[in-house]
Amino acid sequence: MVGDPKTLVALIVLFSLYANLGASMYGVIARKNLVKKLICLTMLGDTVNVFAILVGYRLSRGGTPVPPVFTEWSKASEKLLANFVSRSVDPLPQALVLTAIVINLAVTIFLATLILYTHRHFGTVEMDRVSEMKKGELVDEVEVS
Amino acid sequence: MDAATLCLAMIGFASLLSVFATIMAVLDRDLLRAALFSALQSTLYAFLFYVLMAPDIVLVYVAVAVGIYPLLIVLLIKKVGRFEEVGR
Repeated sequence: MVGDPKTLVALIVLFSLYANLGASMYGVIARKNLVKKLICLTMLGDTVNVFAILVGYRLSRGGTPVPPVFTEWSKASEKLLANFVSRSVDPLPQALVLTAIVINLAVTIFLATLILYTHRHFGTVEMDRVSEMKKGELVDEVEVS
Repeated sequence: MDAATLCLAMIGFASLLSVFATIMAVLDRDLLRAALFSALQSTLYAFLFYVLMAPDIVLVYVAVAVGIYPLLIVLLIKKVGRFEEVGR
């Protein structure tokens, strides 16, 4: 049923996320500049995080979903709790994504440091230039030995 | 047009605009503009997180992906040079 607006929007979101995944993977693999690779890697991680959140989103139970934050708890509120449990989205992917964002941040800072040292050592951040220089260094070492 | 339809339209628009931002960020030879397009994509993703009922993710994600990543990449670009080499 593509005519249903919710289904249509879900299809658009899925298509966009797959397109983003493909484009950023192309950037990580095919672009030569290391900084461009880093930018594309952050975008790739963000897209995967949105996928994980999308998995936890539950439409099928009826009613509008609510965030997994329960604010009205008291001992006599079991009915409220049952209503909340039937409507809230899944909190587990959100916890995992929260961790993944922080880990992504640490990995990105580490890779930025490595790119900076690559630039200091080789004077460039273009990948094929760096590999040419590495080849030259290897040839020099073989000739010396 | 009621509020729910408007919300759905905004979700669709944000997703499609994020595809544009990603493709521009991948194809642009100017790394500074690529970083800004990446921040635009992160902003749209933050909106998607909010609509997908994850407000606690939004709080962390906006600070990290719109604040710290572009700052880090701009500092890196300042050290290593702004433009990609053409034709290699």
